Amino acid sequence: MVQTQKSQAELLFDAQQRKVRLFRTNVTISWVILLGLLIFIFSGPIEIDTEFIRKNAAFISAGIWQTLFISILSIILAILLALLAALGRLSTIPPIYALSTFYVSLLRGTPLFLQIFFFYLALPQLGIVLPAIWSGILPLGLNYGAYMSETFRAGLSSVSKGQREAATALGMTPGQTMRRIVLPQALRFAIPPMGNDFISMTKDSALVSATGFVHEIMWRATRVGRAQFNNLEALIVAAIFYWGMTLILTFFQSRLEAYLSKGDR
Amino acid sequence: MAPIVRVTNLDKYFGHLHVLKDISVDVQSREVVCLIGRSGSGKSTLLRCINFLEDPSHGSIEVDGIKVESGGKGKEHRQLIHDVRLKTGMVFQEFNLFPHMTVLENVIEGPVIVKGMDRKEAIAFAEENLESVGMLFKKDEYPLRLSGGQKQRVAIARALTMQPRVMLFDEPTSALDPELIGEVLTVMKKLAKDGMTMLVVTHEMGFAREVAGRVIVMSEGQLIEDSQPDELFKNPKDPRTKSLIDRYRTGEQ
Repeated sequence: MVQTQKSQAELLFDAQQRKVRLFRTNVTISWVILLGLLIFIFSGPIEIDTEFIRKNAAFISAGIWQTLFISILSIILAILLALLAALGRLSTIPPIYALSTFYVSLLRGTPLFLQIFFFYLALPQLGIVLPAIWSGILPLGLNYGAYMSETFRAGLSSVSKGQREAATALGMTPGQTMRRIVLPQALRFAIPPMGNDFISMTKDSALVSATGFVHEIMWRATRVGRAQFNNLEALIVAAIFYWGMTLILTFFQSRLEAYLSKGDR
Repeated sequence: MAPIVRVTNLDKYFGHLHVLKDISVDVQSREVVCLIGRSGSGKSTLLRCINFLEDPSHGSIEVDGIKVESGGKGKEHRQLIHDVRLKTGMVFQEFNLFPHMTVLENVIEGPVIVKGMDRKEAIAFAEENLESVGMLFKKDEYPLRLSGGQKQRVAIARALTMQPRVMLFDEPTSALDPELIGEVLTVMKKLAKDGMTMLVVTHEMGFAREVAGRVIVMSEGQLIEDSQPDELFKNPKDPRTKSLIDRYRTGEQ
């Protein structure tokens, strides 16, 4: 009799692995069924104008670049603001701490939609007219910066006091300690949630379409949809593009996360 | 000969808590001094005042001719503290290696960034020190992959690569599993034999007895005994010292 010696622990591990694999397979099958159902509904029971889609899909998809452009500039702005706000939040100087918490409270306490309109409609009343794209990018950046400051703060606090002390004992200045020791560790901690924020930003950038001058996906979809009474089709097309973008970005995000956690082990 | 470390009339308060009470102590070059005492006796605080990780409330610290008075402010004062830190190397209980850097990067960080040493030169020097603590074979690993004892040996190499005149050890083996303590103590013994001036806060009575030239006992922020280890362990003068030593004796069994 051939005996393949496996310990109790290994057998248990194998059994658990089988369970996990089975679960994953079933989830995938269910996903495919749900997707099939969705496609079926829109191809039979709900009648959609495929001719319209064929004609206008290219027009709507041309907004992808605009959407990405807005999102990228906004996320850069948001990262800078979040970093400043997080450092301010950790400051022991009262006015700086206050400025940071005030900013975060104000921007998180009002709707993003309102903030966009504030930049687009309210500021011109004061004689400040920003180019349309900036009245989208600025509120998005400010708003996300307020939310992301929490992520950064958590990242900075995740670096233990001992790290700073070790750097100080080596003779590093506070600036060197921050740049060489604290920030690199805090950023590694903050990058995965930042990726998630960027993905939500690509979707929230749709709100900018309300200003009517930034020709991203949502603006294009509502424009052709309203003009030809094909809102259903137009929004379905826009939804597909947003969903597709999100899936692709999520894929890269999980790769990045896997890569970063590898350095930890 | 002038002492290499001179602590004069040092006081330290944490709020209302008086943790160091008028401490004066000299350490000669090449001396190995162990600081023992119960937790909360102020021994770690005293050590941390020497390189200004804690700001003393009163008194002065002098290391290798650089004298810093407490309570100073401004650029000149900060420069003095910086100079003192360059003269002292510190090893922490929790190792505090930089987790985002490899072993070698950890060790060259100080010389390159703080001293502006040429990278190649720093690497050569770092490898020499890693070799002497027996950790050169792990130079490209990240700290997370090392055992506690290995981490502490790297931390010692990191401090040594700054070429300090005095090494400060703050309970270097307290966070280690018992079977890993030996390898760190061996490195420290070697360092003592090579003539490094060392101040060691420790609970390792065996190490204190075998390696230290002097043992200082602290209690409630004061130095209650300061003598040769043989003398101290055989005939403790202060009843508090006796109870401390007895406690460790029973603990060893």
